[in-house]
Amino acid sequence: MTLSLAIPDILVARAKSGDLEALEALYRAFETPVYNLALRILRSPEDAEDVLQETFLEVVRSIGHYRGEGHLWGWIRRIAASKALMRIRRDQVRATEEFDETAAGHVGPVGAVPARIDLERAFDRLSETSRAVVWLHDVEGHTHEEIAELMGKTVSFSKSQLARAHARLRRMLDQEGAAS
Amino acid sequence: MIHCTMDDLVAVQAGEGSVWARRHLEACSVCRAELEALYQRIAQLKALPTRRPARDQWPAVLEAIRGHRRDRRRRWGVGSVAAAAGVAALLVFRPFWSKSVDGAELARVKQQSATIEAQLERYDPESRVMSGRSAALAAALEDGIAAVDGELVRAGTTEPRSTDLLKLWQQRVDLMQQLMSVRVARASYVGL
Repeated sequence: MTLSLAIPDILVARAKSGDLEALEALYRAFETPVYNLALRILRSPEDAEDVLQETFLEVVRSIGHYRGEGHLWGWIRRIAASKALMRIRRDQVRATEEFDETAAGHVGPVGAVPARIDLERAFDRLSETSRAVVWLHDVEGHTHEEIAELMGKTVSFSKSQLARAHARLRRMLDQEGAAS
Repeated sequence: MIHCTMDDLVAVQAGEGSVWARRHLEACSVCRAELEALYQRIAQLKALPTRRPARDQWPAVLEAIRGHRRDRRRRWGVGSVAAAAGVAALLVFRPFWSKSVDGAELARVKQQSATIEAQLERYDPESRVMSGRSAALAAALEDGIAAVDGELVRAGTTEPRSTDLLKLWQQRVDLMQQLMSVRVARASYVGL
């Protein structure tokens, strides 16, 4: 998700001082992107709401350490991603694949790319880990190094998860296309 | 003919493709179409609608923030009482220790500490803070006071040297005076 919202330095300074109005302004500015990120990864609105709360509590606790390097959204997004991934680790048992996945094989001829709703449905059917890697890399723009650090895995893991997820998406979309 | 794998295509899309994959893509229309489909999928993922929370979560976040602040103040208050009780016990039960402890001086510093603490209560810590620097300073001072209180509590269970005990109380007074200055300046700033 691309976010161009600029946060005035004075607002960040007030938030750092504990000003509740400033903290609420930050919350209002970032609640949607944080929730959207969490929902895309976790799929459950309840879990996404929990991550939203946990993220902002962490923001309140840690904003004193935010030194202004990079966009504030980048800093908050990292916290949100970390909270969402923590939830995945906590609920590993839920992270069962809905589709057995073989290693990314050779690809065959490709048909027309199906409509958006099909992609959204296919994306939702990926495992939480796969969704997290795809969303963080392809949409939020995290590097494999950053994803590996957030997940406590290797860069190779992130890369292979991404390739496998795309192979799976492609296959599911082909199935959807053939069925329609 | 060997085609690109999805690993190859994802690497090419990220600008990290192997020489073989890039050369193959120049010659193979099937793999080029697959790469184009990958680009399209990523573009479509970015274009997925933004979901918004159904309920406002700010009240819950706000309540948690306030609870955290209340806990912090309570811990500080309990620390002060415990520290005072510890020193009182030392003064009552160890009269002969006063040979080295200047009891009057200790009592004076302790009274000074209690007075400043009472004055600090007049300035609502929840009031709006306009300067991040002063708030950070206030937080650091509160942490410092809490640390001194911890030392004073421990002093109640051990046998510290009288000078060390007096030094701790003076340190506490000094920190609270600094905190007072910060809070008074802050309250003046917001017109309290």
